[in-house]
Amino acid sequence: MLRRHVILLSSIAALSLCAPGLVLAATPKDQLVVAMDTSSLRGLDPNEINQLEAAEIVANLYERLIVLPAADISKPQPGIAESWTVSPDGKTFTFKIRSGIKFHSGNPLTAKDVEWSLRRLVKLGLAPSTDLRQWGFTADNVEKLIRATDGSTVVVETPEVWNSNLILYSLASFSTSILDSKFLADKDKGGDMGREFLQTADAGSGPYTLRTWRVNELIIADAFKDYWQGEPKMRRVLLRHIPESSAQRLQIDAGDADVATRLSSTDLGALETGGKVTIQKTPGFGFYYLALNQKDEILSKPKVREAFRYLIDYDGLAGTVMKYYGIKQQTIVPAGLPGAIDKNPYKLDIEKAKQLLTEAGYPNGFSKVYYATPVTPEYEVAQSLQANAAKAGIKLDLQGGDHIGKFRNRQFEIFSARSGDRLPDPHAVLQSYATNANNTDEAKLVGLNAWRTAWDVPKDIQQMVTAAAHETDQSKRAELYTKINEAYLASSPALVTSFLRTDAKAVRNEVKGYIGHSTWLTRWDTVNKGN
Amino acid sequence: MSQTIETRRAASRKLLSAGRKLATSLAVIATTLLGLLIITFVVGRMIPADPVIAVVGDQADQATYDRVYKEMGLDRPLYVQFGSYLADIVRLDFGQSHVTKNQVASDLARVFPATLELATLATIIGAGFGVPLGILSAVRKGTWVDHLARIVGLLGHSTPIFWIGTTVILICYANLGVIPAGGRIDIYNEGLVEGPTNSLIIDSLLAREWDVFWSALHHVIAPALILGYAAMAYLSRMSRSFMLEQLRQEYILTARAKGLGTRPIIWRHAFRNIRVQLLTVVALAYCGLLDGTVLIETVFSWPGLGQYLTSALFFADMNAVLGSVLLIGIISIAINLLSDIVYRFIDPRTR
Repeated sequence: MLRRHVILLSSIAALSLCAPGLVLAATPKDQLVVAMDTSSLRGLDPNEINQLEAAEIVANLYERLIVLPAADISKPQPGIAESWTVSPDGKTFTFKIRSGIKFHSGNPLTAKDVEWSLRRLVKLGLAPSTDLRQWGFTADNVEKLIRATDGSTVVVETPEVWNSNLILYSLASFSTSILDSKFLADKDKGGDMGREFLQTADAGSGPYTLRTWRVNELIIADAFKDYWQGEPKMRRVLLRHIPESSAQRLQIDAGDADVATRLSSTDLGALETGGKVTIQKTPGFGFYYLALNQKDEILSKPKVREAFRYLIDYDGLAGTVMKYYGIKQQTIVPAGLPGAIDKNPYKLDIEKAKQLLTEAGYPNGFSKVYYATPVTPEYEVAQSLQANAAKAGIKLDLQGGDHIGKFRNRQFEIFSARSGDRLPDPHAVLQSYATNANNTDEAKLVGLNAWRTAWDVPKDIQQMVTAAAHETDQSKRAELYTKINEAYLASSPALVTSFLRTDAKAVRNEVKGYIGHSTWLTRWDTVNKGN
Repeated sequence: MSQTIETRRAASRKLLSAGRKLATSLAVIATTLLGLLIITFVVGRMIPADPVIAVVGDQADQATYDRVYKEMGLDRPLYVQFGSYLADIVRLDFGQSHVTKNQVASDLARVFPATLELATLATIIGAGFGVPLGILSAVRKGTWVDHLARIVGLLGHSTPIFWIGTTVILICYANLGVIPAGGRIDIYNEGLVEGPTNSLIIDSLLAREWDVFWSALHHVIAPALILGYAAMAYLSRMSRSFMLEQLRQEYILTARAKGLGTRPIIWRHAFRNIRVQLLTVVALAYCGLLDGTVLIETVFSWPGLGQYLTSALFFADMNAVLGSVLLIGIISIAINLLSDIVYRFIDPRTR
């Protein structure tokens, strides 16, 4: 009798755990739930991070002098700086700082904070410091070149003349976020300028404050009530660590997540046909590229390089694995930027590739080791190339794994991956793909894809890239970029571009105002759910 | 008088012997853990992932790379790095995770209770169902009950747990809506209970936060049932095998000949004799669940040790990897020691 009662009670308890009423498949109206793979997140210091996911969080915890609106990122708008002027010689930028802005600590934001933050970026010298250092700022000169002249004015002087857009765009990057210098002064540990503290905390003035961060689990950000543009509609944003694409898909489909950020092509396709979500494809400024090491005798032959361009199934991939991840592009200036041209002359042509290989002296092909990152869609693209190359007689030994270190150190034969630049200007991509001032191993220009590939980029192209960066006349600049684009296409480059990167996110239809940003600065304060 | 001296001598010999045993045990434990650390450290250095790039990003220039390389202490010889790590370990300093930027100890204090919660529940389910099922199967050998139990066991043992998890989510979450999608708790209950054990079930009970308690229990039940099923499959097969072996013994035949009923034969005689073996396999299953829940943790977005360790391995975060491995080693040793102690209570021959 007793046993029966135990069984009955256990069954009731088990059923109650699975009661449908307990599963609430809808997120609250005033909260935004984002499904994200946060495993690559490493701290939240704006001067240290360099990942897309971290950048989105920092974009909402902090603010910057300049804003690049998601709708038109080419037109800098006032952010913390309510206005700015550029001196006639193009070297001095004067920013007038908006009054009445408060940090999350309650401290007022002043020109001193701007000065301290920009200097900190350069002095720390971590990965994102390239955003300023590439224009000539160094730890030695930054005190002199970036200074607050009074409580509301900041002057930024560049050592050389650069196109003003390059400087303004850089000052809109997540790395140039403005930090609460007074608050961080108390958090300094051995002169680290608050670096340790900022790994898991924030010191910003953005629309959201960091409430909780449990690594690889959850991040909660609360709306900042004293935000200078008004309290955001979403009182809380929750970023849930959901590494599996299928789990993200199920959750957004059921309404447990509002946005899903890491989905496979298959899941994106299924969600799109389901009708409950909109798929956002945000064009980026990077490429899916194939790098052919020019230290290799065979791969350094222009006809061999050209042959590879005929071995990529551009159209086949565009309709399948790359449907949500890229836009076919064989030129080097990203679509939408000055100098971009709609020209894709190559298509899959095995016979043409064979002919080029024969002309290069390899009628029977050759064998090479091919490194590719084993993630979607890079690996599928690599497998497609491997299959096509085999038809032309080239045996590619495809090896998945983390080979980026070998690519950085020129220890590879063939490598493919995806790049991601953040500056909405052709210079960012061209600097990496089309400049290589010193092609020796000792130069160690490891930040440049051209150097990594040991490609001695034609001098005329390099000169044009440098000239365009310094050119202040926008129309002349656009002309230069068109020329560079044509010259790059004609040069049988060792860095073969096939698709312009796009970042795909699924957003539930009731969520308005969540707009993917090409420079990774997607904002949450613009989001509402029809309330 | 001489008897007293003899008693004292005997007591001191006993104490000395116990001391020797303790010292030997400690030396074995220390050697095991040291070996574990050395192997992990060396293998960790052979992983192709570059820990510096994992921190600075692949676009960083050489100066930044070199500086972080030094900051991480990678410019020192391997034995110096390891020695310095060991010195820190002795001071109970597991170092900082390069990925999470937290102290590894605090990360482990957060993620391990999540896995412990899941693995403990799964072991209770696995042993609670698996052992009786195995015994039933042995007692009813050759009948449909035995065949059914063996099929259930075989399926649990041979079906990939990842697949079971995904299918359960698809059916029970996406179609029926009877289980939550993943994570440890509903978003509405986030942040209501913090510490002290980091086990949400225990903490919510202590705080008498019943909504949080039910939410935590609701979230853990599906992954625990799946893991428990896998454990049950293993434990039922082992229990069946142990029990069959006992049932073939002569003392069982004697008991039957004496007219003892089946139930007393099974539970008072046969089962008593397989308790040590059962305890061993349950302890092994528990250890396996503590360090092998990574797949189910991934499917159910369960922020436990498995996910933490995998992520650390992927980004060559060696402090986190070594800390996790050390913890797993310590827990495995502790469970084994505990089993040894329990043996002494249930089997006098082991004293």
